[in-house]
Amino acid sequence: MTSMIRVRNVTKSYSRGGETLKVLNGLNLDMDEGRFYALMGPSGSGKTTLLNLVGGLDHPDSGELYVAGANLADIDGAELARWRADNVGFVFQGFNLIPVLTARENVELPLTLTGLSRAERRKHSEYALELVGLKDRMDHRPRQLSGGQEQRVAIARAIASDPKVLLADEPTGDLDRKSAEQVLDLLARLNQEFKKTILMVTHDPHAAARAQSIVNLEKGELGRIDHNVPPVAAPVR
Amino acid sequence: MFKLVWQNLIAHPIRSVLTAASVCIAILLLCLLRSIVTTLDAGIQASSAARLIVMSSVSLFVDMPISYQQRIATVEGVTTIGKWQWFGGVYQDPSNFFAQFAVDPEHMFDMYPECELDQASRERFLATRNGCIIGKQLADKFKWKAGDKIPLTGALFPHPDGGAWDFEVCGVYTSKAANFDDRTMMFQWKYFEETLRAGGQDPGVGVYIFRTAPGANVERIMSEVVAMFANGPMSVRCAPESEFQRMFISMMGDIPMLLGWIGTAVFVALLLGCVNTMLMAGREQIHDVGIFKALGFSNAAAFRILIAQSMILCTLGGIAGIGLTLALKPMIATAIAAMFPVFLVETSTLVLAVVLTIFLGVAAGMIPAWRASRLKPVDALRAGA
Repeated sequence: MTSMIRVRNVTKSYSRGGETLKVLNGLNLDMDEGRFYALMGPSGSGKTTLLNLVGGLDHPDSGELYVAGANLADIDGAELARWRADNVGFVFQGFNLIPVLTARENVELPLTLTGLSRAERRKHSEYALELVGLKDRMDHRPRQLSGGQEQRVAIARAIASDPKVLLADEPTGDLDRKSAEQVLDLLARLNQEFKKTILMVTHDPHAAARAQSIVNLEKGELGRIDHNVPPVAAPVR
Repeated sequence: MFKLVWQNLIAHPIRSVLTAASVCIAILLLCLLRSIVTTLDAGIQASSAARLIVMSSVSLFVDMPISYQQRIATVEGVTTIGKWQWFGGVYQDPSNFFAQFAVDPEHMFDMYPECELDQASRERFLATRNGCIIGKQLADKFKWKAGDKIPLTGALFPHPDGGAWDFEVCGVYTSKAANFDDRTMMFQWKYFEETLRAGGQDPGVGVYIFRTAPGANVERIMSEVVAMFANGPMSVRCAPESEFQRMFISMMGDIPMLLGWIGTAVFVALLLGCVNTMLMAGREQIHDVGIFKALGFSNAAAFRILIAQSMILCTLGGIAGIGLTLALKPMIATAIAAMFPVFLVETSTLVLAVVLTIFLGVAAGMIPAWRASRLKPVDALRAGA
């Protein structure tokens, strides 16, 4: 199995109030293509920072970071934006849908960067919404949806342009148990059926148990990795 | 993408409408102020270089002796000369104000070829002692036509009988140029002079207007005319018609400069208001900018989304302002008719309004758009969380 994500000696620091805070401290990590990873660790251990670096939302201070074949330390600006559009889909804890757009328009948003025709974009977005079980809500605005439905729309948006990697930051953090289960089922299904490489930051051991590997971070360094956690996928309700 | 920009605008309808309305009013004001300046300027531009005006060196409101006419006519290069006197009569009510002048009818049409009147009416005007001609707009306003009688109460020159001055309309003229007002009445000097003399008054002349021969040395003529009366009884000032128009306007102060400053102040105030509004909109959308960037939109796209909102708001306001200017033009022309014969909204004013609208849209959106484009996606997402 090939590495989808390869992290080599990556460091990342932030300045806060004149003080430098080292978040990632020479991190080394490999993640295989098509696997579902949960990233765990205490607050401040660097989980979200790593997720942002892997998604090209931020730059490492040093080290090499290969994701989907590209060294993200070497690309910037418009090239990095293009890479994000082509290779990664984000699912955030707060859903991060654009409130003034409908569910379908939100899902269609990343497709406007693909060169697809309007009709094709519409077809793709409807398919993605069907996949998450929300085709009947496609003309609803985010505020007209429940939290769980919003997160499923966010997942539809993340997969609409068929990226290789899905990055989820506490995707169930703001959801009730039932909605959280639906979202986790969906992620597991995307991993199993569509072979998406998924990296999910979570504090919730129950959510982490749905992944195939659990990577633990401690103070910016790699801790224990638990492999072969049996994936649990259930049909989307 | 346009839908996203539009939805962001209508997500705050009151703010968007108020911003567009402020742009609309400012553009309307700028168009009106500039149109007043161009209207003033049009009169000056249309003035004839071959026409010179003689007035008292004391003031436009101090009369000169009638005898000056013959003496000025003797200056080499002077071809035609005529007397003009502001009458200041009232038709029924002071609110019906319009300008009236006592003129020498025989020189009137040579002096002002821009005043168009058919030959029959000219002849009737020359032959009728209390005859007058009126401009087309004036005739339209009071529904006057040839043959009608116009009674005027003399405010400056009361009729010796104590009654009204009676004038008979001999024709309705049209004007070919902006410097010649077609809301004016001109009547026989002879009637004016004889009536006043009958009452024991000695009428004076407000201004003398004369034409010069082609190729004549205007500077010399003006010097000679001024020198002729330097020792009294009334010293005079002589100036080309355009200079006279400027002088007349400057009696009200430096209007173009004043209006220019007001316009600039309005524009700067509006710019600051729009920048403030767009900064607010930009701050509210920082999180959205983070989402766009996370989805793969470039910095340039984030810039475009913010600047497009500013451009759309300002363009809508600007279009409304220009439309309102054109719609209000007839009303304004009527309102200032007493001061200015025409109200010109020139194409250059409308072009300037469009340019300022675009500038406003770009300038107001520049700071938030630039900020949005510079933000790292991770910072934008964190800022709005």
